Amino acid sequence: MLAYVIRRLVYGVGVVFGVLFFLFVLFFTVTSPDDVARKALGERVPPAVIEQWKASHGYDRPLFPGPGAWTENMLFEHYRRMLTFDFGNSDADDAPIAQRLRRGMVPSLTLTLPLFLLSLLTAIPLSLLVAFFRETYIDRLGVVVSVLAMSVSILLYIIGAQYVVGRLLHWFPISGFDSDPELIVRFLALPLLVGVLAGIGGDVRFYRTVFLEESNTDYVRTARAKGCGEGRIMARHVFRNSLIPLLTRIILAIPFLFMGSLLLESFFGIPGLGAITVDAIQGNDFSVLRTMVYIGSLLFVLGQIVTDISYGLVDPRVRIE
Amino acid sequence: MAKSRGAWVALGLLLLVPGLTACTNNPYAEADDQRKILYKSYREAPRTLDPAVAYTTSAHAITGEVYETLLEYHYLERPYVLIPGLAAEMPTRQEIDADWTLYRFALREGVLYQDDPCFALGGEGRTTREVVTADIAFELMRLADPAVNSPVAEPLSNIRGFAEFSRRLVEAREGDPGFGERPVQEQYAAVGPMEGVRTLGRYGFEVVVSSRYPQILYWFAMPFTTPVPWEAIAWYDGEAGRERFADHPVGAGPYWLALYDKHARFVLEANPNWYGVQHPEWRAPGATYPDTGEPEDYAAGRLESSVVGQPLPFIERIEFRREKESIPYFNKFLQGYYDAAGIIKESFDKVIHEGALSDDMRATGIALEKSVEPSVFYIGFNMEDDVVGAPGGDESRKLRQAMSLVVDTLEYTRLFSNGRGVPAQSLLPPGLYGYDAAYRNPFRQLDVERARRLVAEAGYPDGVDPASGEPLRLTFDTSDTSAQGQLRFKFFTRAWRQLGIDVVIEATNYNQFQEKVRNGAYQVFVWGWFADYPDPENFLFLLWSEMARSKGGGPNTANFSNPRYDALYVAMKARPNDAVRLAEIEEMRAIVEYERPWIELTHSEAYSLYHGWLTHVKPFGMSFPMTKYTDLDPGLRARRRAAWNEPILWPLYAAGALVVALLVPAVFTFLRERQ
Repeated sequence: MLAYVIRRLVYGVGVVFGVLFFLFVLFFTVTSPDDVARKALGERVPPAVIEQWKASHGYDRPLFPGPGAWTENMLFEHYRRMLTFDFGNSDADDAPIAQRLRRGMVPSLTLTLPLFLLSLLTAIPLSLLVAFFRETYIDRLGVVVSVLAMSVSILLYIIGAQYVVGRLLHWFPISGFDSDPELIVRFLALPLLVGVLAGIGGDVRFYRTVFLEESNTDYVRTARAKGCGEGRIMARHVFRNSLIPLLTRIILAIPFLFMGSLLLESFFGIPGLGAITVDAIQGNDFSVLRTMVYIGSLLFVLGQIVTDISYGLVDPRVRIE
Repeated sequence: MAKSRGAWVALGLLLLVPGLTACTNNPYAEADDQRKILYKSYREAPRTLDPAVAYTTSAHAITGEVYETLLEYHYLERPYVLIPGLAAEMPTRQEIDADWTLYRFALREGVLYQDDPCFALGGEGRTTREVVTADIAFELMRLADPAVNSPVAEPLSNIRGFAEFSRRLVEAREGDPGFGERPVQEQYAAVGPMEGVRTLGRYGFEVVVSSRYPQILYWFAMPFTTPVPWEAIAWYDGEAGRERFADHPVGAGPYWLALYDKHARFVLEANPNWYGVQHPEWRAPGATYPDTGEPEDYAAGRLESSVVGQPLPFIERIEFRREKESIPYFNKFLQGYYDAAGIIKESFDKVIHEGALSDDMRATGIALEKSVEPSVFYIGFNMEDDVVGAPGGDESRKLRQAMSLVVDTLEYTRLFSNGRGVPAQSLLPPGLYGYDAAYRNPFRQLDVERARRLVAEAGYPDGVDPASGEPLRLTFDTSDTSAQGQLRFKFFTRAWRQLGIDVVIEATNYNQFQEKVRNGAYQVFVWGWFADYPDPENFLFLLWSEMARSKGGGPNTANFSNPRYDALYVAMKARPNDAVRLAEIEEMRAIVEYERPWIELTHSEAYSLYHGWLTHVKPFGMSFPMTKYTDLDPGLRARRRAAWNEPILWPLYAAGALVVALLVPAVFTFLRERQ
């Protein structure tokens, strides 16, 4: 078990190193340190100020190692900062990135945690219901609606919900965020509704398939033959034995709750880590962007390992070697 | 089983209760409904709020409220007029010699900064202190400090000793590495004061400025020259959990920044220490609603007797909420949750009909205000180019004149900015001294036939270059590679094709474009300029040869050089607004009209919408906020919001009924099969 975890960690380190390298190359392929500086300082700033800004942010060094610059280069500094968790300051406004992460995590979790739970609480019962009424019009309608729901872009859900629910029906604010407990519920209502609706099609289809596969197994037939009620079969037997594929999907999603939701946060004006990432992309803020990508890749690797370990806990037949 | 069913019901109720209580689209606390809170939005947070550095409209929306300046602009008068702010009166002016002029200011006594913990550095338990002229001198030294990176150091270098102070500071820092570690106020004190800046006690202040730059006074109406307490710089250094000064302004203005969450919300609260609040008996011009304005201000109700002479400010709080997307922002304005808004392009046709507010909008009490910004957009010719520039002599001039005659600005604004923008006839926009609304530039009137004749006289009959036998080929150089940009530039190249001239768009990235400009390898380009201050000098210098891009990277990107224009510019620059100055401006305008280094396009025009509960609003045109003059009626706002935003719940009930209708047959089927 320990050897397995260590092996996975080593693979993970390789993945993270690769991600950081590709991010660096891709970023500086489409932009240049001059563009980063100009984005931060504005177009009317004299060239001397641009040069000074680049020097103070380390962007005046060569991009890659070379003779005389094996450590004094941007790639080396990029890795050094990330591996020592020294995230530094934002290129856009010089604010400390670590502080921004701490501040952004709360709004992100305020959105993603309830969204995650609501999605589970909606999708799993609905999938059980559809599986329960398998081969009836409920099942067929459920599949059709799920496929339709999956086919629609989340952007359409967002814009449509903002217009219909916020603008026409006046149920909830169109966008915004406030940490005041009195206001936070009304601000989260619409993004939660959109998040659940946008994800429910895929979730219901997936969980339904899992439940149906499980409900066709021999032990379920035996339970039915013994006169066990259908509701009890679904809740006690089918659901419990479907946990492995469910866990794969669920546990892998948990680390990313900390990263927030790029589109929901951005469109609904929630100042979480997702919105910060979008801002960093739009603002050529390499320092923030690499931090977010780095944390994202670390959480992904961690999520993979936790998922594998959880198999053994849920199903004693699974042995991790 | 009963227990588990109960748990599900409880969970359902748990979700339902907040769901029902949340059923309102009001993004603000109901307790604030009756307060005079002005709601505004912002798209991107400013990079910095340091008044020495902040140079964007979004930053000035905050720094302009928090920092008080020696001078400021009259709210209603146009052309723009300077009035005393923190200064007790307008400064006196004294010519020292032919080169230098002295301005003497008297600061109001007893003006306090906002309350702030930083003032404890000056004495235990202190939360504020008096504004003194040493704070203005300190800020001027900050502007000269290369480490501060102020973008306005160049114009301020007209102060005697400004550059010298900067040099001494750099030398001291380079000579002693420990010097730069000392607090900045100690560093400034150690290198000595700026020669041209002298404080006379706590309230007197003299500044000696180059006589060639009387426009310096405008800079004393901008946050760059505001008094800044040294305690704020020393305290807000980003260490030990304290914020950075760039995020925590400390000023003596009508508002103070109570909350600054860059990603969501800013809150400005009325400053109880502001001199207008502390000393209403002064009836200071900058703290009292004005009693004069333009004729249309009377008609618009901005000079009603109920408001004239009232102490400022009227608004108790200004809230900025972040709106990254334009459609939600505009929808919230229509719901009454923002008090004012620009017009987004997606809704332009719905809001504006034939240049006026649509009937639907007017019915809701929304008002439209149009304002022309002190700006100019133009197509420029590189006057050092052999084909289109001065080396080509009379022929090149005729070519430029011809190209100027076929660019249809009205059509251009109709296509690309919903008709917003005043067609430009000269460099000077409306609202500035020297602008003549009746003036018509003969080379800016559409005349294709005359243009064809001029092209032929220029040596290109039907646009054909006799050297190659092909249409004359020019390049239109730009750093805008966007699809929208390409469409705009094609509008121009199509216009010139009527003359047989083939203008090729060469769009490159910014760095490559800058490289072309540095090397003079460009012919035709498009550019724009927003004024720093409302003086004709700030536009006419754009064609002064000393400002040529090829000489020192100046803003004269056309590299225009004309000795007569230069002489007139130097003479005009130092004159007050009198008949002689007007004559000089008109002669400069005539030179530009004939020489055509530019094809003037537009002066940009802003359309602003205001709800009926906002009163005495007048668009200012420049980037500095004038919120202290604005008032609002919170009762009317609350009533209209309630009427416009009543929740419509029937779709919720209909959806519930649909779910039940779908499930009931299935349940019955299941029960029947089980039996």
